[in-house]
Amino acid sequence: MENKINYGPSFSEEVFQNVDFGEEIKMCMNCGVCAGSCPLREHMDYPPRQIFSLIRAGKREEVLSSKSIMLCTSCYTCEVRCPRSIPVIDVMHGLAHYALKKGYVPRKDTADFGREFWNQVYKIGRIDEKDLPRKVFFAGGVVNGIKATLNFMDIGLKLFLHHRMKLLPEKKIKGIASLRKMLDKAEKIGKGGTVT
Amino acid sequence: MKYFLYWGCSLEGTGANFLVSLNPVCEALGIEFEEIEDWNCCGASISYAGANDLAVKVLNARNLALAEAKANYDIVAPCSSCYIQMIKINHEIQEDPELLSQVNECLKEGNLAYKGGIKVRHIQDVLYNDIGIDAIKAKVVKPLKGLKVAGYVGCQSVRPFGEYDSVNKPVVQDRLIEALGAEAVPFPNKIKCCGSGIFLPEIDYCLELAKNILEDAVNHGGELISTVCPMCAMNLEMYQGRVNEKYGTDFDIPIVYLTQLMAVAFGMDLKKDAALHYNVIPPEGILKKAVG
Repeated sequence: MENKINYGPSFSEEVFQNVDFGEEIKMCMNCGVCAGSCPLREHMDYPPRQIFSLIRAGKREEVLSSKSIMLCTSCYTCEVRCPRSIPVIDVMHGLAHYALKKGYVPRKDTADFGREFWNQVYKIGRIDEKDLPRKVFFAGGVVNGIKATLNFMDIGLKLFLHHRMKLLPEKKIKGIASLRKMLDKAEKIGKGGTVT
Repeated sequence: MKYFLYWGCSLEGTGANFLVSLNPVCEALGIEFEEIEDWNCCGASISYAGANDLAVKVLNARNLALAEAKANYDIVAPCSSCYIQMIKINHEIQEDPELLSQVNECLKEGNLAYKGGIKVRHIQDVLYNDIGIDAIKAKVVKPLKGLKVAGYVGCQSVRPFGEYDSVNKPVVQDRLIEALGAEAVPFPNKIKCCGSGIFLPEIDYCLELAKNILEDAVNHGGELISTVCPMCAMNLEMYQGRVNEKYGTDFDIPIVYLTQLMAVAFGMDLKKDAALHYNVIPPEGILKKAVG
């Protein structure tokens, strides 16, 4: 007899095969402890539990464009409490990585921030704390950049006056060329692939 | 006692008061630190936006391999983001031989290799378990008498492993506060997340998280909040004004690193060692009152 339950196995398979930690959702029993534990749950369209259900139901668009997958603060509360020991954070990050790779932008500011963060790691091996917000602010164009800069200038100035802003630009680490080779290799052989 | 100190990117900038106070305090307790030469960023939790999971693991394995090649000391990572990345990835690599060989395949591109022999520690773990409360008490010359401190643990400094403290009811920071002669006030929101690394891009949502933590600390009588995390310090201190603007509150509570409190209680220089002038919300008044 044909199975009439409206599950979409193809998207689940896509997630199991291509998303870092994607197979972990097989363990989910939909108890909702992750949703109850999440500090930003009220702002999520689908809390983690529902994201996992949507994957099983084959709702590709809903999952990959859901802002929830980029609202994870990585606080590990859900992960500590999950009765099935699912690394919920790693799954959410894996899904967000995959969504960005496929051209979805579930949360623009956080995506800009994260991409620029990784750009700096790849370019110099460290984070330049002044340069990061500047680049993120201007990722949305010059007008937005000026607005955001003015908006946060008081905080930057206070940090500067209290010796908490390095004045010189961050230098590349000595081993940057070899670090990049290592990271390139990892992007090539790692399950999650590369965000282009 | 010798350790590698992996202080990370923030502790040279926005978290400078942590590093400045950490060094003299640890020296006084007989801790010797060595830098991991040419260390790189840990990638924090946000790197997924640009990198796959293996790349972030390799990024951290490079630091572990550089350390392992030099000496067999534990790595102390004071920043909780560095700590969680490094300890988590280290565990994953150590427990999975297949992953270790995959990581090494990548490290080979830079002529490095990691055997999996390094241990990663939190600074609270070292202070509490290696040095011990008695040795810390013995260094206190100016007890922080009557000072009510809300010890804010946050998330990544104890979760997910609970290596040295309970993940649900952590006590280590409170014990350290008490060793300095201060009172650690009960503070249920001490394990709630402040928004961490995505505070800036998600500020509209995260201000509420900061408000709930500040409110709970103040309501329980906290005169200042202590922390061991540069992101917690940044979010609770630098955005306190924004919280007040948004919620009509009037919070004016200093956010200090635990090591700054230790430097004060150890009778060290308030500027050079405790770096109190690095704080934007000044803690000097309250602290001077406590030490008399």
